[in-house]
Amino acid sequence: MSWAASPAAAASGAARGGDSPGQRPPARPGRAASQPLGIRSRSGFAALAGTAVIWIALLGPVITLITHLSGRAIVTSLTAPGALDPLVISIESGAVTLAVLVLLGTPLAWMLARGTLPFPRVWEAGVLSSLLLPPLVVGLLLIFMVGPYTPIGQGLGALHLSATNTFLALVIAQVYESAPYYVLGAQASFGSVDPRLEQQAELLGDRPRRVFRRVTLPLAAPGLAMALAVAWARAMGAFGAVIIIAYHPYGLPLQIWTSLQETGLASALPFALVLLVVALPLPLAAYIWSARARGRRRG
Amino acid sequence: MLEVDVEVDRRDFTVRAGFQVAPGERLALFGPSGAGKTTILEALAGLVPAARGSVVLAGRVLTRTAAPHRAVPPWRRRVGLLRQDPGLFPHLSVRQNLAYAPGTDPYGEDAAEIAGQLGIGGLLDDRPHRLSGGQAHRVALGRLLLAQCDALLLDEPYAGLDSGLRRVLTDLVRSLVAARQVPAVLVAHELPEAQAFADRLAVLDRGQILQVGPPGPVVLQPATRRVAELVGYAGFVPLAAPDDAVAGVHPERVALGAHPSRGIVLNVPVLACRPSGAGWEADIEARGELLSCRLADRPAAGGGELSITLLDPPCFGPDGGLLPRPEQVSA
Repeated sequence: MSWAASPAAAASGAARGGDSPGQRPPARPGRAASQPLGIRSRSGFAALAGTAVIWIALLGPVITLITHLSGRAIVTSLTAPGALDPLVISIESGAVTLAVLVLLGTPLAWMLARGTLPFPRVWEAGVLSSLLLPPLVVGLLLIFMVGPYTPIGQGLGALHLSATNTFLALVIAQVYESAPYYVLGAQASFGSVDPRLEQQAELLGDRPRRVFRRVTLPLAAPGLAMALAVAWARAMGAFGAVIIIAYHPYGLPLQIWTSLQETGLASALPFALVLLVVALPLPLAAYIWSARARGRRRG
Repeated sequence: MLEVDVEVDRRDFTVRAGFQVAPGERLALFGPSGAGKTTILEALAGLVPAARGSVVLAGRVLTRTAAPHRAVPPWRRRVGLLRQDPGLFPHLSVRQNLAYAPGTDPYGEDAAEIAGQLGIGGLLDDRPHRLSGGQAHRVALGRLLLAQCDALLLDEPYAGLDSGLRRVLTDLVRSLVAARQVPAVLVAHELPEAQAFADRLAVLDRGQILQVGPPGPVVLQPATRRVAELVGYAGFVPLAAPDDAVAGVHPERVALGAHPSRGIVLNVPVLACRPSGAGWEADIEARGELLSCRLADRPAAGGGELSITLLDPPCFGPDGGLLPRPEQVSA
């Protein structure tokens, strides 16, 4: 993607548009087939080199992880009694978190995108606040909000629930850490659906709910999938708020932390691998699927 | 029958529309950009609320602001709208687009027949992004036909296409409107497009309909000076009598030479002359007015006086109203 904006790509895009007068060329992802790397000048080369450095630097931790793992260490730490419990906890709490996000976040994202809410900036600021606050601070504040001695905590207590050091607390912390990624991503993908297509569907006889199901949702789906995948990765990796409000039950991030504290780096590393293996497939699948879905629509 | 009498409040002015369109009839709303043409269509389609008035289509009240109040939502209006963007659903195949309306069978006889009529039978399994502009518009039209619309609204649908394709598609719509006997309303900001489509022309300016009539008379005998300006009269030449009256000069209704029987003869100096299409465009000065006109032949060189005839020009009084035919008017 780094060379998508190169002059070569822009020029070939213009040429494609030129052969059909009066018709907007479909927006294609820029792929300069004739000049694969778009290197035409020193600045082009510098841009490419910079891109490569950043790419390698970003992937560095993953490469390091793979090179530092020994098979025996993986086996011993993962076959210890109860070693896989954190994995189960993480997957379960992540799934509940995603369900909460989809149920509560999707309508909010849709209304933000359509501008149907009064004072939209205020709503957006609310979504952003949990993104902008450091997770540790969110965790601290959550103790003051839903801890056992607060009105909410006492209300939960009356229902024999507790929002500290429970599965519920883990889900709450994960929701706070992942919600903005889902809501903002979903808002963007709903916003990219042309409202005129929805109008057209209405004029063809569809009620708004059917329009949403037949037009809005399918068109926003690739973006929604990506937003959900990012939220999943954030929820899996949630740590800052979790360590304060939900030290128990251990999810994977806390398992890594405690292993690190108790037995050192070598035993924490296999859990890091497990975390990656659990957290990454969904985002990767979502990325591939949404890229293909977009490709089918644009050619 | 489509009976319209609505007002829509906009930020800058109120759009008022009052007209009737019979089944099979084609009305063009013509006016400059921002005159409120699209607003009228959107009010008919139920996409913008009407402030006052009513819309009745084939006996069904779609909008009525007086008691009993009624505002039928767009999905129950059975009104088809075509815009410049064909608005095909990119995630559906051409066949699914055609049969989008609820209760339409994508593999039914109707769909096959209309696809054949529109010449898109071979594209049914394609995705919209593979279609050319003309093909996409044919699919959009077929989709409306399969939705069994009671009225057809066209918002400059073919403005972006080249002229040949535009004519083919306009003829197609004309024949379909005749075959289906539905009222059709076209919005156009270019006069030839409106004339090619409509049997009646409504001239719109700043939200007001200034004149409605068959395209010929509206262009040749505009009711007011403002209408004349909108349909292309580029200048107004003062007449000798009656006082303060002016004759409208349409650049395309000027003949070289003196033909007193055909209109008003002027002797004017030629300021400049350049080729324009297959003829010539000359800048002239007529009684202090700078005008340009289209001539079939090149005016004689030398920059001298030129005799031209304004063919049967409409003449307007000081109030801007049309004066009677200019038998008595003299230059």
